[in-house]
Amino acid sequence: MSYAGRMAEEVNKKRILFILGLLVAVVFLFWVGIVLYKDRAYNIISIMIMVLACIPFYAAYEKKEGDIRRLVIIAALTAIAVVGRFVFGPIPFFKPVTAVVIITAIYLGSEAGFLVGSLSAVISNIFFGQGPWTPFQMAAWGVIGLIAGFPPVKRLLKTKPGLVVYGVFSGILFSAIMDIWTVLSYEGVFNWARYLAAQATALSATITYAVSNVVFLLIGIKPIGKKLERIQIKHKIFIKE
Amino acid sequence: MFHPLVIFSYFVIVLFVTMFTSHPVFLLCSLAGGVAFCGVLSARRQFLSDIGFYIVVFILLSLANPLFSHNGETILFFINDNPVTKEALIYGEFIAVMIIAVIFWCKCLNEVMSTDKTLYLFGRVVPKLSLLLTMALRFIPLFKRQAEKINKSQKTMGFYAADNLPDKVGGAMRIFDSLIGWSIENSLETADSMKARGYGLPERTTFSIFTFRLDDAFMLGLMAIYLLIFIAGKSAGFLSFHFYPTLGRVGITELSAAFYAFMALFMFFPTLIEIKEQIKWKYLESKI
Repeated sequence: MSYAGRMAEEVNKKRILFILGLLVAVVFLFWVGIVLYKDRAYNIISIMIMVLACIPFYAAYEKKEGDIRRLVIIAALTAIAVVGRFVFGPIPFFKPVTAVVIITAIYLGSEAGFLVGSLSAVISNIFFGQGPWTPFQMAAWGVIGLIAGFPPVKRLLKTKPGLVVYGVFSGILFSAIMDIWTVLSYEGVFNWARYLAAQATALSATITYAVSNVVFLLIGIKPIGKKLERIQIKHKIFIKE
Repeated sequence: MFHPLVIFSYFVIVLFVTMFTSHPVFLLCSLAGGVAFCGVLSARRQFLSDIGFYIVVFILLSLANPLFSHNGETILFFINDNPVTKEALIYGEFIAVMIIAVIFWCKCLNEVMSTDKTLYLFGRVVPKLSLLLTMALRFIPLFKRQAEKINKSQKTMGFYAADNLPDKVGGAMRIFDSLIGWSIENSLETADSMKARGYGLPERTTFSIFTFRLDDAFMLGLMAIYLLIFIAGKSAGFLSFHFYPTLGRVGITELSAAFYAFMALFMFFPTLIEIKEQIKWKYLESKI
C-alpha cells in the first residue's frame, strides 16, 4: 500500500474513533440524565448535547490543511451575517442571518455554511445577549448551513422553487430547534404536549421567519452569489469542493 | 487578575451546578451570587434596568408552569376547570430562578472573559477557530462603520429611502450589497497581508500577558474542594428537594446549614474579590 493510502487509512481510523467517542459521550449524557438525575436535568443535558453536536465539525475544520484566505472569507461572511442584523435593524423581523448562511453554503460548501451559521450565533449573541439558548442557535443555524451545502441540495437550491422551499423549511427548522429551549425554560423538563403548544403559539413568529428568509433569499441570491462566485474565480479558492 | 483558566473554570462550575440542581436554597444562593457579581461589574443604571427587565421575565416564566402543569395537591383556584396548584406555582418560580441565575452568570462571563482571554485560552487547542472568531469580531465594527459610510454616500447621491416597507428593504439591500462587495475584497487583502507577514509559519509564538501564579493554583484547588463538597452534599441528600405531589421541606441541621453557607460563599466569591479590589484601588488612588 502506498504511503498516502496508509495515511488515509490512519486518518480514517482516527476519525471513526473520534465519532465513536462522541457517541459514547452522548449516550453517557443520556444515562446521567435518566439514571442519576431521574429525568430532571433535561436543560443542561440538552445544552451539552447541542454543544457536542457542533464539535465534530469544528474538529474537522481544525485538522484540515487550510488556506488563510478561506479562513478570512468565512470570518468576513460571519461578520456580514451579524452586521446584517444592524443594517436591517429598522425593518422588524427581516433579518438576513439565515439567508446569508444559506447563500454561503450554496456557493462555498457545507463546511463553510456550518461555520458561518454556528459562529454567527455565538458572535451576534455577544451583542444581543449570551445565554443558555446560544448552543441551540448554534446548532440550528449550523444545521441549516450544513444541509444547504450538500451537493444535491445545492443543485436544487440554485433553482428558484428549491430556494423558496428551503427558505420556508429553514424557518420551520429554526423554530423547531429553538422551541426545545422554550419548553425547557418554562418547565425544566421536556414534554411533547408542551412542545407542540409552544410550536402553535410561536406559529406567527415561524411564519415571519419563513417569509423573511424567502424574501431575502430571492433578493439576495443573485448579488451575493455573484460576488462569492467572482472571488472564487479571481483568487482560486474553494474550487476543490 | 486571575489566570483565564481559573476564571473560565469557575464559570463552567457555577453554570453546571446551577443547572443540575433544583434545590430552592441552592438556587437562591446562585441567583443572589450572579446578580451581585453583575451588580459590581456593570454600570448602575444599566444594572437597574436589567433588574427591572428580569423581574418581568421572572413573573412570565413562573406563571407559565402552573397554567400547563396541574400536578400537586394544594389547589389554589380554578381556571377553565383546570386546577392551579401551589406546588406547580412554586416549582415554576424556582425554574424561573434557575434560568435567570444562569442568564446573570452568562452576563458576567461575557463581561469578565474578554476576547484576549478567550483567544489565549483556546488559541492553542483550536487555533483556527479562535482566529476565525477574533477576526469576525474585529470585522464587525469595521463593517458597521463602512455600512454607515455607504449609507451616507447613497444619501448624497439622492437614494433616499421613503417611509414605506419595500423602499426601506430596497435601500437596506443596496447598502448590504455594496457592503458585501467591499468587505470580501477588503478581507482578502487582509489575508494576503497576513500571509506576507508569515502567518502560519512554524516557530512563531504569540504574545500574552497572562502568567499562572500561586494564587491561581490556590483558586483551582479551592474549586476542586468545592466540587468534592458539592458531590458529597448531593449524595448526603442536602440538594434533593421534591415539589410534587406536596412541597418538600428544607431540613436545616448544623451540617446542612454549614453546607449551604459554604455554597453561598462560593457563589459570592467573585463579588467579594471584586469589592476588595475596588476598595484597594480607591485607597491607592487617594494616596496619590
